[in-house]
Amino acid sequence: MLYVNQISTYYGNACALSGVSFEIKQGEIVSIIGANGAGKSTLMKSIMQVVKPRTGTIRYKEKDIMHMSTHRIVGEGIVYVPEGRDIFAPMSVQDNLVMGAYSRRFSKNELEELCEEMYQLFPRLKERRRQLAGTLSGGEQQMLAIARGLMSRPEIIMFDEPSLGLAPIVVDEVFERIQYINKQLKISVVLVEQNAFMALSVSDRCYVMENGKITNSGKSQDLIQDDSIKAAYLGM
Amino acid sequence: MKENKANKKQTKISWFPIAMLGVIGILPVFMTSNYYQTVCCQAMLYAIVALGLNFIVGLSGLMTLGTAAIYGMGAYTSALACTKFGLNPWLALVPVLIMGWLIGQGLGYPSLRVQGVYLSLATIGFNEIVRTLLTNLEWTGSGTGIRNIEPYRIGSFAFDTQVKSYYLIYIVLLIFIVIAWKIVHSRWGRAFIAVKDNPEALQVCGIDIAHVKITAFTLSSVFAVVAGAMYAHFNRYITPATYTTDLSISFVVMLIIGGLGNFWGCIYGAYIVAFLPQLLRPIGLSYKLIYALIMMCLVVFFPNGLLRDTKKYLMRRKAMKGGVADENRAGSN
Repeated sequence: MLYVNQISTYYGNACALSGVSFEIKQGEIVSIIGANGAGKSTLMKSIMQVVKPRTGTIRYKEKDIMHMSTHRIVGEGIVYVPEGRDIFAPMSVQDNLVMGAYSRRFSKNELEELCEEMYQLFPRLKERRRQLAGTLSGGEQQMLAIARGLMSRPEIIMFDEPSLGLAPIVVDEVFERIQYINKQLKISVVLVEQNAFMALSVSDRCYVMENGKITNSGKSQDLIQDDSIKAAYLGM
Repeated sequence: MKENKANKKQTKISWFPIAMLGVIGILPVFMTSNYYQTVCCQAMLYAIVALGLNFIVGLSGLMTLGTAAIYGMGAYTSALACTKFGLNPWLALVPVLIMGWLIGQGLGYPSLRVQGVYLSLATIGFNEIVRTLLTNLEWTGSGTGIRNIEPYRIGSFAFDTQVKSYYLIYIVLLIFIVIAWKIVHSRWGRAFIAVKDNPEALQVCGIDIAHVKITAFTLSSVFAVVAGAMYAHFNRYITPATYTTDLSISFVVMLIIGGLGNFWGCIYGAYIVAFLPQLLRPIGLSYKLIYALIMMCLVVFFPNGLLRDTKKYLMRRKAMKGGVADENRAGSN
């Protein structure tokens, strides 16, 4: 569905990604694990063209999305949920959701329906729909960020560190929702995580990143048995 | 938007806009002097400009200091269309609106590349270029400006006295308040707030930041040029000396006194900035000094806007007296 071929991205002269290739097929959950600074977020941002890759190609459904602007990529059906629960703090929960559907020009009724769908997915948000998003708890903000991403009805949704700074019980809830989104709503998921064990246990396939390169990849259930991965990321 | 949400919850404050507009409506009855009525008209025109500027400075958080030039270009476009081409003042609003749209698009583009204090400097440059051109071009009447601009008319009724103009401008102000209110509460208003709050998240929501910024600039210029045109036909005499960077700064000061991003703050802010110097003038030569000091105090002691901070202070006092721990949550954000 999405093919990333040999992309290299630089911040000034510093090379953040060098010749990274990866792909995601319809209906999959693909996880990307790696240490801090390995280039996981940069890879996501490069796909979204938030940072522009210098070389390589990115194809999505036979379409070249390299050099396309970010908002148009969202319109094509790829959505990115940035790390650190990047929500609009001074707006209400409802307004945050509506912002997510901006690219699709839905009618008022469609918007209402979509919001209602999101509230069913995340009931806690419904209670807080009139509350300012900045006053939500960390877990609720993460839920809101995910719901906002879903508002544009994407075909691929990419999560950047959804477990960052959340209590373990909330992390479980977030991952359970991510699996639901994948299985029930039939949306392909890219999951960037430092929490390697969690990422490996929910995903179908996994890529391992180190210093801006992909060093290992394969089925998640195989990788979880791999000795080098166990030692480096799972602490076993 | 945040404070409007708060307004809904605390119905205590929602009388304020109505009362304010009501007072503005009957002001000429009490202020019979021509001089003060002129100041009132100016304050209303400033309020229109401030409502427009609110989209850029208040909501989107971009500091521009070229508004006086836009205001001036509105005035000159309308005045020239009437005096040189013999257009009816009402019809002259068409080139004025086109001018507003062009300036907005033109100023919006640099705002994509230059940010922060550099944007302020670039817009000051724009302001000075416009003022210098207006002062030196033969065609725009150079330093002496344009005289004998005809007033607005409906049939044989001319808006040629202070009170008549007052109510014409009052109606225009009300129209612009409605338009601005609608915009602030539309998808555009939300996008403007998002530009200030979290531009990166805005992008990944599928929103074109460039488009949002340019729209903010265009809306703001349209407000400013219309107010400028009204000014030309109300004052019936315009000179380039009016459209200084000082005036641009005053427009931003109006927003700051009213509280950045506070809708109704734009209006009372405009009144304070228009009236305070006039009220202080009897003091004598030092009135500008006192004016500046008052302004500094307002900014230091009421950083979130005069009304919002007063309200917060009152609530805190009430809470302390009654022992109720009801802090103003929306305000603390």
